[in-house]
Amino acid sequence: MEASFEPKIIALVCNWCTYTAADLAGTSRLKYPANVRLVRLMCTGMIDVKYVIKALLDGADGVFIGGCHPGDCHYINGNLKARKRIQGVGSILESFGFEPQRLALRWIGASEGPEFAHHMTEFVNTIMQLGPNPSKARMIL
Amino acid sequence: METFLKNPKGAHEAVRDLLKGLLENKLADAVLVAARTPYSQLPMPMLIADGQHLEKAVPLLPVAPFNAARQAEALLRQDAGRKLALVLRPCEIRALVELVKLNQCSLDQALVIGLECYGRMENHDFLDKYASGEGEPAASRIDEQLLCTACRTCTRCVPETADLTLATFAGGLEKGIWLQAKTEAGEQVCKDLELGHKDMDPGHRQAVEELKAGRGQADRELVEAMARAMASMEDFQKIIADCINCYNCRRACPVCYCKTCVFVTDVFQHPPEMIFRRAEKRGAVKLPTDTTMYHLTRLAHISHACVGCGHCTSVCPAGIPVADFFKTVARKTQELFDYIPGRDLDEPIPLLVFDENEK
Amino acid sequence: MNKEIPRIGVYVCHCGMNIAPRVDVEQVAEFASRLDHVVVARDYKFMCSNPGQELIVEDIKAHNLNRVVVASCSPRMHEATFRKACRKAGLSPYNFQMANIREQASWVTDDSRLATAKAKDLVAAAVGRVAFHRPLQTRRVEVNKSVLVIGGGIAGIQAAISAADAGYKVYLVEREPSIGGHMAKFDKTFPTLDCAACIMTPKMVIAGQHENIELLTYSEVVGLEGFVGNYKARILKKPRYVDEDKCTGCGTCMEKCPTRRVPSGFEEGLAFRPAIYSPFPQAVPKTPVIDAEHCRLLAKNKRCGVCAKFCEADAIDFDQKPQYLDLTVGAVIVATGFAAFDPSSMVQYGYGIYPEVYTSLQFERLNNATGPTAGQIVMKNGQVPRKVAIIHCVGSRDRNHLPYCSRVCCMYSLKFAHLVREKTGAEVWSFYIDMRSPGKLYEEFYNRVQAEGVHAVRGKVAMVTDIVDDPGRGSLTVVAENTLTGRNLRLPVDMVILSVGLQPAEGAGEVARMAGISADGDGWFTELHAKLAPVNTPTAGIFLAGCCQGPKDIPDTVAQAMAAAGQATALLAAGTVETRAEISSIDPDICSGCKSCLQVCPYNAIYFDEGRQVAVVNDALCQGCGSCSATCPSSAAAVAQFNDSQVMAEIDAILA
Ligand SMILES: Cc1cc2nc3c(=O)[nH]c(=O)nc-3n(C[C@H](O)[C@H](O)[C@H](O)COP(=O)(O)OP(=O)(O)OC[C@H]3O[C@@H](n4cnc5c(N)ncnc54)[C@H](O)[C@@H]3O)c2cc1C
Ligand code: SF4
Ligand code: SF4
Ligand code: SF4
Ligand code: SF4
Ligand code: FES
Repeated sequence: MEASFEPKIIALVCNWCTYTAADLAGTSRLKYPANVRLVRLMCTGMIDVKYVIKALLDGADGVFIGGCHPGDCHYINGNLKARKRIQGVGSILESFGFEPQRLALRWIGASEGPEFAHHMTEFVNTIMQLGPNPSKARMIL
Repeated sequence: METFLKNPKGAHEAVRDLLKGLLENKLADAVLVAARTPYSQLPMPMLIADGQHLEKAVPLLPVAPFNAARQAEALLRQDAGRKLALVLRPCEIRALVELVKLNQCSLDQALVIGLECYGRMENHDFLDKYASGEGEPAASRIDEQLLCTACRTCTRCVPETADLTLATFAGGLEKGIWLQAKTEAGEQVCKDLELGHKDMDPGHRQAVEELKAGRGQADRELVEAMARAMASMEDFQKIIADCINCYNCRRACPVCYCKTCVFVTDVFQHPPEMIFRRAEKRGAVKLPTDTTMYHLTRLAHISHACVGCGHCTSVCPAGIPVADFFKTVARKTQELFDYIPGRDLDEPIPLLVFDENEK
Repeated sequence: MNKEIPRIGVYVCHCGMNIAPRVDVEQVAEFASRLDHVVVARDYKFMCSNPGQELIVEDIKAHNLNRVVVASCSPRMHEATFRKACRKAGLSPYNFQMANIREQASWVTDDSRLATAKAKDLVAAAVGRVAFHRPLQTRRVEVNKSVLVIGGGIAGIQAAISAADAGYKVYLVEREPSIGGHMAKFDKTFPTLDCAACIMTPKMVIAGQHENIELLTYSEVVGLEGFVGNYKARILKKPRYVDEDKCTGCGTCMEKCPTRRVPSGFEEGLAFRPAIYSPFPQAVPKTPVIDAEHCRLLAKNKRCGVCAKFCEADAIDFDQKPQYLDLTVGAVIVATGFAAFDPSSMVQYGYGIYPEVYTSLQFERLNNATGPTAGQIVMKNGQVPRKVAIIHCVGSRDRNHLPYCSRVCCMYSLKFAHLVREKTGAEVWSFYIDMRSPGKLYEEFYNRVQAEGVHAVRGKVAMVTDIVDDPGRGSLTVVAENTLTGRNLRLPVDMVILSVGLQPAEGAGEVARMAGISADGDGWFTELHAKLAPVNTPTAGIFLAGCCQGPKDIPDTVAQAMAAAGQATALLAAGTVETRAEISSIDPDICSGCKSCLQVCPYNAIYFDEGRQVAVVNDALCQGCGSCSATCPSSAAAVAQFNDSQVMAEIDAILA
């Protein structure tokens, strides 16, 4: 069972930095686990808490949020708002037994293709260790 | 300043005297206060413009059909050209402060009279016990076990931002009630009503401390038990299993201020094929959808602002202890953001301020 | 809810050998064909080729498609291509979505099975979301054909002239009585040592006389709102008490004014001026101003009015009041320049304590032919100094003050060294940390000055003191360490010049707030992109020129001013601007009027409709960042193409 565990990761990333870094990782043919599904948003500042909650309730094994480094957000400070919001929802989800490691927030700049691949590998490894999100096995309520 | 409002008929009559004074001296054009309609023992928030009707006012009764902050807000939404005095419980004042921060109303034309609150019973418990009005407990302390869970575990039972406070906890309720002015506006009212200063009963402070200590203990026990009870999503889904998505809890919640909750907008009116897809994937899906999502989102939206009034639990037809899990989660979010709802009009709402140096 | 039933076409690209062998494209297309609302699903060798695009166009017509998904490369690569194809077939380009199965699937894994599974998920996500896409509208808004320039230093002057030459009306706002900025104080400029006045004065005159430039000196911008093409600026004209239309600039008033001992700001406190004054002889405009704080009549209510009595043009008007001017402009160029660092706080250097310690700007005046000494480099006692120390990096590259390099100080210090040598023959000792001379002809200038016999000491000055070993050899001692030799040095000198760093102009923060632009940690305004958009700001229609964006020399300042003018006039020449489609809008029926979104919008793009008590997005200002939508609990605010339904459908489809 454990061996066949292929986690599914939802990555909510901003168009300007992390998505671009992901493209760069691709064009550089860097290999990283294929478990990550990128959802392209314009900025991490538009990430609604509902997206995170929904992803975890619907069975995502991890939610990765990637944006520009502080000071580099294309929209000045969307990433700072995101950081605070994610902190809040993270603490709430933790109360219900979601391991905090299932929700990661990282700054990955547009030129950081290798960092993107590295963070993906690291995150997938963490999730492999945690095992599947228990919500996945249950009915959606 | 502090004073004792004397009336041989007791505290309620003394409060009525005070409110009458406000109306007669044009210090207020109307008062919002819990009062009885002719048809029930259960008081409702009532806007009283004529002092004669004050005889029905029973703000100290240990029952409150809902958090009156929303009614206060409706009256203070825009400048109606009238001055309003409001008699409110501490949790109602806290909620009102949150609503002011959210631009829902203004306290500019308001005189807030807070009361030190012994707590409330659930409406049905109160009615079951005192349907006839016989043996009604009035203002004095009742057995904590008769109170609703929220009040039994409430440590913020003394108003924090009122202009005037009815210091119930100082006792002497059979002969009247203690009054404290807490703001300039409050002082001015005392001056205008020519109330002479009297030093507060020295037992007051201790009474407050004792009550808070007992409640604090109950509060910790509750939060610990609740945290254990909802330690996994599965456990939590057991707790909310009977929820029928009626959304009464958010309607009753004084800080859930949205005109239209996102859960009743198009966003959650899924096209049928999407619901079929979910059923196909897991074999079955419970309807209505998004029940867990609703509760978690509401927590994410307003747990930082939860004032702990317990009305969400009180209105739930399914008997779900909504306020208990709110309290448990709110403890963490409020700590995380270093935010105390309803404490100060100038305290910024956490998610609206941010800077680079936050971690 | 939308009752239009989606009819979706899905196109899976092989991208030659880039996607196809790794991702089983046929299988993905087959998978797509079974997804809800998908009418056709195909795979094709090169979707971006002409035949590939034609395939989409024909299918749209043949199958009456109303949504299209292409699974190929990154949308950053070809989104525009496929949107155009949709448009060609009469479909809204916004009813399109791309799934990136090349950069994100075929290229990043060797495992064909996983790559195919991932590609399927990404296609499902795109199909799931595109069902919620709607055609979007953009608008074209007129651009007002005038430019506002804030700050009348060399940057502002040059930008104004360039824009005016292009035929546009320019308002040049300067808060001092005259335009000119810092450059007007200099006598010589590095590296060519040409006479500053000779190159500056003609520019000032052109600006003053240009038929397209309206000079608003002694004025400040007090309000700025609106959006690209339509900015509304409110200008405060401070009372001059002298009628600009009547004054001939003869200067009699200044000669007659009995108040004579007001320290002159322009002369950096080295000379005095009367209460009615023009800061320097070449000032533009020539009209003087009365300094109300020092005027006997205005400040002390004494009977004076001497200036009025002597003014033949009858131009003095003691009743002038502050005036407000409302302008509408299409573009704004911010050129508020810099302020010199005040070294008083660095007590070790003795500025403000010892009279023979000067700041660099003071030295510029001392050396200036129109300055307090008529260009003689002399001490306060009138004598020529025999030994002069120049201390570099005062305030700059210092964690406690200005952490950055101010870029021009080494060069102007070399200029000073040369001037002192040339004019006085005095010995010059320059104390530097690193000698920075990058720029055309700069290294050459450095070599030239070195050859003139200037002692350059690498090391930081510990202090300047009046404790001297031998009073005959100078009134001050410079205590320093030579970091090259490791030896300590006590140098007797007559004069010390502090090469102070540059910091943002006073009030720059306020300008940034009004203009909705941002500043970096040091207060310099931030450009849109450090390399590719150096004069643009994140706020469309607002441009930067000169030192307000960071310390720089005159050549760079002028180049940037011309660039800013070029960008502004290009915008004006276009005549209209297209609003973005992917922006926020607020549903007034849902909005509760909590104003939360107003607080988080980084562009002040949301205003509050007091009547309806709801928030409203200004679609010309909104950049579509979504800060508002993620903040609004009821999702009344939503960014088109990124609304809750669309994003959650994507997540739903991935996990379904
Ligand atoms: C001592 C010294 C010597 C120098 N020597 C040389 C040299 O030899 N060669 C060289 O190439 N460079 C030299 N420089 C650099 C040079 O001064 C700058 O490159 C140049 O002045 C920058 O021009 P600017 O227009 O950007 O700024 P500034 O000259 O500072 O002009 C800004 C103008 O904007 C006005 N302003 C500011 N805020 C507002 C507001 N809110 N509203 C309205 N108006 C406002 C100010 O009053 C000022 O007139 C020297 C600098 C210093 C300090
Ligand atoms: S009031 Fe009770 S049943 Fe109704 S939505 Fe809230 S928790 Fe569910
Ligand atoms: S969540 Fe419940 S306890 Fe908290 S403020 Fe709302 S109604 Fe009161
Ligand atoms: S945050 Fe939402 S409810 Fe509040 S003002 Fe903005 S759009 Fe309206
Ligand atoms: S999307 Fe961003 S820029 Fe547009 S109104 Fe919302 S917060 Fe402002
Ligand atoms: S644009 Fe990347 S985080 Fe805002």
